[in-house]
Amino acid sequence: MRAATTMAWLMLLGAALWLAVAVWAADPGAAASANADQSGFKTVSGPCALTFPADHGPHPAYRTEWWYYTGNLVSPSNRRFGFQLTFFRSGLERPQEGQEWPDPASAWRTDQIYLAHAAVSDIDGGRHYQSEQMVRPVLGMAGAQQAGDRVTIHLNAWQTVITPQAHHLKADGADFVLNLTLTPAKGVVLHGEDGYSRKGDGVEEASCYYSFTRLKASGELSVSDARHAVVGTAWMDHEFSTAPLSAELTGWDWFSLQLGDGTEVMIYLLRQAQGDAHPASSGTFVDPAGRTRHLRRDELRVQPLDHWTSPHSGGRYPIRWRVEVVPLALTLLVEANLKEQEMRTPGSTNVSYWEGSVRASGTRGGERVEGVGYVELTGYAAPFDAPM
Amino acid sequence: MQTTTTSAAPPDSERSIQARDLTRIYRVGSVSVTGIEGVNLSVPAGQMVVLKGESGSGKSTLLSLLAGLDRLTHGALTVAGRDLSAPSDTELTTFRRHAVGMVFQAFNLLPTLTVLENACLPALLAGANPDTAHTKASDLLSWLGLNDRLDHRPSQLSGGEMQRTAIARALINDPGIILADEPTGNLDSHNARKVIALLADLNREFDRTVVVATHSDLVDPFATMVLALQDGRVAS
Amino acid sequence: MTQSMQTILNGLRLFRWFTLRHLRRRLLRTLAVLVGIALGAAVFTSVRLAVQATLTAYSNSMAHITGTSDLSVVRPGGRVPDGLVVDLLRHPAVQSASPLLSAYVRPAHQETPFLLLGLDPVLDRNLRRWRLRDPQAGPSADWSALMTHPYTMVIGDGLAEHFGWQPGQATPLIHGQRTAEFRVIDILAADGVALVEGGRIAVCDIATFQEFTGLHGQADWIDLRLNGTASPESATEIAARLPPGIQLRSPTARSESGRGMIRAYQLSLTFLSFISLFVGMFLVYSLVALNAAARRRELAVMRASGASGNLLFALFVGEGAVIGLVGWLLALPISGLLVKHLLAAVSGTVSMLFVQVQVDGLTLDTWEVLLSFGVTVAVAMLAAVQPAREAMAVSPREAMAISTAASFRPALFRRLAIGGGFLLVLVYPVSQLPSPPSLSLSGYLAALLLFVGVALLAPLLLRHFGRLLKRRLQRLGGQPAALAADYLRSSGVQTAISIGALITAVALFTALVIMVHSFRTTTILWVEQSIAGDLYVRPKLAELNRFRDPLPPQVVAKLISVTDLVDLVPMRRLELDLKGHTHLFEAMDYADYTVRNRFIWLDGDPSRIAKAFQRGQGVVVSEVFANRTGLGVGDPYRIQIGDQQLDEPILGIFRDYRTRGGAVYYALTRYQERFDDVSWSGVQINVAADAENPAAVMDRIRTDLITCCGAALEMIDGRNLRRAIVQIFDETFAITTVLLLIALMVAAIGIATTLAVLVLQRRRQLNTLLAMGGSARQLRSMIFWEAGLIALVGQMAGLASGGVLSLLLIFVVNRQSFGWTFLYRVDWTTLLLAMPLIFAAALLAALPAVKLALDSAPAALLRGGTP
Repeated sequence: MRAATTMAWLMLLGAALWLAVAVWAADPGAAASANADQSGFKTVSGPCALTFPADHGPHPAYRTEWWYYTGNLVSPSNRRFGFQLTFFRSGLERPQEGQEWPDPASAWRTDQIYLAHAAVSDIDGGRHYQSEQMVRPVLGMAGAQQAGDRVTIHLNAWQTVITPQAHHLKADGADFVLNLTLTPAKGVVLHGEDGYSRKGDGVEEASCYYSFTRLKASGELSVSDARHAVVGTAWMDHEFSTAPLSAELTGWDWFSLQLGDGTEVMIYLLRQAQGDAHPASSGTFVDPAGRTRHLRRDELRVQPLDHWTSPHSGGRYPIRWRVEVVPLALTLLVEANLKEQEMRTPGSTNVSYWEGSVRASGTRGGERVEGVGYVELTGYAAPFDAPM
Repeated sequence: MQTTTTSAAPPDSERSIQARDLTRIYRVGSVSVTGIEGVNLSVPAGQMVVLKGESGSGKSTLLSLLAGLDRLTHGALTVAGRDLSAPSDTELTTFRRHAVGMVFQAFNLLPTLTVLENACLPALLAGANPDTAHTKASDLLSWLGLNDRLDHRPSQLSGGEMQRTAIARALINDPGIILADEPTGNLDSHNARKVIALLADLNREFDRTVVVATHSDLVDPFATMVLALQDGRVAS
Repeated sequence: MTQSMQTILNGLRLFRWFTLRHLRRRLLRTLAVLVGIALGAAVFTSVRLAVQATLTAYSNSMAHITGTSDLSVVRPGGRVPDGLVVDLLRHPAVQSASPLLSAYVRPAHQETPFLLLGLDPVLDRNLRRWRLRDPQAGPSADWSALMTHPYTMVIGDGLAEHFGWQPGQATPLIHGQRTAEFRVIDILAADGVALVEGGRIAVCDIATFQEFTGLHGQADWIDLRLNGTASPESATEIAARLPPGIQLRSPTARSESGRGMIRAYQLSLTFLSFISLFVGMFLVYSLVALNAAARRRELAVMRASGASGNLLFALFVGEGAVIGLVGWLLALPISGLLVKHLLAAVSGTVSMLFVQVQVDGLTLDTWEVLLSFGVTVAVAMLAAVQPAREAMAVSPREAMAISTAASFRPALFRRLAIGGGFLLVLVYPVSQLPSPPSLSLSGYLAALLLFVGVALLAPLLLRHFGRLLKRRLQRLGGQPAALAADYLRSSGVQTAISIGALITAVALFTALVIMVHSFRTTTILWVEQSIAGDLYVRPKLAELNRFRDPLPPQVVAKLISVTDLVDLVPMRRLELDLKGHTHLFEAMDYADYTVRNRFIWLDGDPSRIAKAFQRGQGVVVSEVFANRTGLGVGDPYRIQIGDQQLDEPILGIFRDYRTRGGAVYYALTRYQERFDDVSWSGVQINVAADAENPAAVMDRIRTDLITCCGAALEMIDGRNLRRAIVQIFDETFAITTVLLLIALMVAAIGIATTLAVLVLQRRRQLNTLLAMGGSARQLRSMIFWEAGLIALVGQMAGLASGGVLSLLLIFVVNRQSFGWTFLYRVDWTTLLLAMPLIFAAALLAALPAVKLALDSAPAALLRGGTP
């Protein structure tokens, strides 16, 4: 029974969320039929011309959108933590004829769904706390509001308030609480061509994608009822798109690394069924002054060195890599701070993925560098109880 | 009788009867009726005893006491070496199984059982192996000339056949003593003679003690002891 | 092999030879008894299975609707604002929260209503299980289409089957005032919510539901699931944050009172059906006793051949066990046939009386099967114990004597009678013991004591009766009659206990006739006095939807405009819960109501009630409400309605036989003022007494209402309503009638066997009579006299204990189980007509015994030995 309910959810959310890579790989026909034009959503096919703060807000004309916060924190007693807080917006396909809602329409009428995932990695405690939520954005349960230069994205009690000065994050689970203020140390970084980030062969297989690559974090978190004041570094991604992931892609590996010399590296590798990374895979290097350099596929070398198998999903994830950015003479050993950082979301997307705090050490141009970061690994675990 | 069916006669003690001052009084409401009173008796092993007397003289009462079907009111009684003066229910049941064989006037075969099964009944009640009992019963029955009647029901038999079946039943557990209550009372003279001859055979050839209560004279030639009862007392 | 094993095996062999062959030989007699016990067992089994299936269906439906929720947010007497879900979801202890709406709706062109659930598929996913049957079937077959496509639904397969609906099908549905075209987008797999009401269910998005019903911003309740880590105080804390009038309740509270009521019904039916088994017990007794008596001689021979008494005891108890076992096996196919009919009747009754339930099918409950097996075999073995003891006591001497007179033990008579008397003395005090709510344990226990007590007392009664009648009978029927009376006086315990079958059946018959008649008479009186209106108007499917939705305003406006022609008696009805007792709260105008209708008061001063009630200074409550809650006149009635508390004294208690729990009435005008609710749940319309042509006026009103708002209304003619109520009543008691007939049938078989035993027990005596020159006619006459006397004693004792039983049923069992009592009315006509019929049946049942008596040759039996 659960397996089939699960599958029903997958059918919906797999269409909407890039996270549902596994489903699309299992059913290439479905992906091909989901033509962006037919569904009535706008597609991303060129530079995004993003303006802020307006573009911090939602883009309901596109099918999928997310606000993604990750970061590494430390308490005064040097206890290390990682965190993740993500808001997803997913547009549901409206009737083709553009049917109107009944009049008077119920307050529950919407064609959107909001989801959110939150997690805290207690690195020294060796535990990973996680929670998820999903609601429709009605009655004030979820949504995004813009008031002046202040953008609020929220889902029940979870929220991020983005102002020009800072991002205020709030989330809690059954056994953790997260309350952080993130102050940008650098400006917005647009990935790809002015934020137009290719994700496949076609021009429309792309997203609009920008990041805050270095946010100074401070605040408070609780795990298992123990409160900790924390400081650290965080990263924010905001991305929206209509195109589903290409059928030949099985998932991706995403790295966000913040190095001690004031630089940041973002890499995403789109994995193909054959094993090689898709040519559209790329990255961005940000220098201490905030200048960016686009990194092409052929400039990147990422080699997994070690793996960990999740006892929950059975997914076998890489957890140690050798990362090389050839033109920058950057060589790093990236290693998970905690193996057990798998997100499992039976109550929303029902996709399992690994989203975890990592540390990096190596050399850039011959100089020793150390750093922290986050890695996201999707498409390694079969969906829970998938019946097929 | 075949060798397989009847072993050598049991020891003397199992074939003798001693009674002293044997008394049985019935109570019906507040009235007492004397069955027998003060009967003294000593039957050594291997005797053929005839009990004589009118109806109501106490023949059947005495026989039922000897057969362990009834309890005496006072006196002492030893049958087949067992003291029946004050037996428990269990003792009586065991006694009836092993010590005596009983032949009735009305044959008293169980109507739902076949000839063979009727003959087996006491053996099975005594806990014998059914196969052994069957073999023994069929041997006995064929000795009694009933081998083509084994699977018949009592209702399909003549009186003589019924009584012979009853005799087989009485013999199945190898008792030392055979008791017969008017065994010829329901038979024609031909069959009556045949039955008496059988009982005499049991006494003479196989050394069993036989006690016959009867009005008939047919037994007289074979009798070694005659006991006449009158009004519950031994007349002679 | 050990000796004891051999003994057991030989015992079984003998059982086959001695007992089974005999049963087979007397095949007809055996079959008659087997049919009797099989009928009893079948009734017992199928009644239990049917109620069990109903209970299971109800529990499952409720459980599937409740899902995994820990708590429910409700508003007594109304609905909750759906927006509360936002605050609830933000509470840290709350893991999931989901509002639910439900209503019975029906297709526009079909009469069958079904349950429509409105929920948010997104919020609901953690609370209730449901999934599509074939989620890959086409692009629209996706639950998200429920959200994006207005007026779509997914349906249970029961519904699909019933209406022949397929995915893609469009159909107009009616709810209250609205009709809308719905499209079926898929069929639910048979699981979770899809099992509610046997799959006759549909699920739509909450938005669609609200737009369809007009219940914007409302939910029936909101289910909550708490975090695994939530503390026990979380519930209190959540409750404290709720707005006034909104409460937090256990989700099972909704189903608990319903389950309790069905269980009570199950117990009462179990009791009634057990009586057919009880009557069957007498039958087994008769047969085993007959066999034991007829085979005394064989028993004596067995004893003489070395059988122990215990073996004979075992053979006869074994006979009882075999009869029980075979009877039970025969009962299985009969149950299979019976249970289908009973299932419809039982679930119909439960739906009418207690809670709406849709039974999808029978599940063969292992426990129920074992129970019926155990009870049947135990009853049959128990019945065989007394004859087996008699068999055990047969003297081996009888093998010689052929004297088989049954032993007659006056001491035993006295002991039985003392025991019986003792049990009878206990009947009243036991009936007054407190009983768990809705379960009339004390009532049933008292009834059982009554039956057993009378059966034990019967031998003594019979003796005295025989002694008393002998002289008179001699004059009346000559020597055969005197002999019959004589025999009755001196006959064994067996005879008397055999009569127990007849006593039991007649008692049951009498009691049920009286109860049903009293109930019916009272109901009709109540219907005529309390439901005296000409026309009743209420929203469509109001009864099913428990009057939650008021009459549309345009209906009220229309009606108010014609008050020159008719009198209106409007009422506002709410379903409230007082400490777990779900009841109807009805606001009505006393003066308007009593123009036509009358209360039948049980307690309270009627003249004072009217004044205080009009002023809103108290409420009146139904008998059921009073009995359920234990509240009486003068006690306060305190209840939360919306965000206000009502606290008024109870002024009076009235008789009320409406279904589903108790009722509380309160003054309409005061209710409207205090609770700011002027809506009407329904209205009674009466043509003024002085109208010239009442029929024409009524027709006009009706036509007006149909023209204005017919689709939203149900209009019921008062006369039809009254007739329907009586019909519901009669249908409810159809089950009782079936049980009754079966008990009587079993009793007739019982009389036949009883008389056969009597004849066989004294064949010798009968043949002596023949030998002494008695004619066959005299013998026949004697046996008929005996049959007559037995029937007479049985009927008299049965009537007497039936009278007592009817008192127990009406004033103890009904009050405890259902909360109501009735006016005690004896249906003399039926009883007086039935008694001669039962008597005649008893005489007919004597025929086989007569044949038996004349069958055997006297000489064969008279031959015997002497002491």
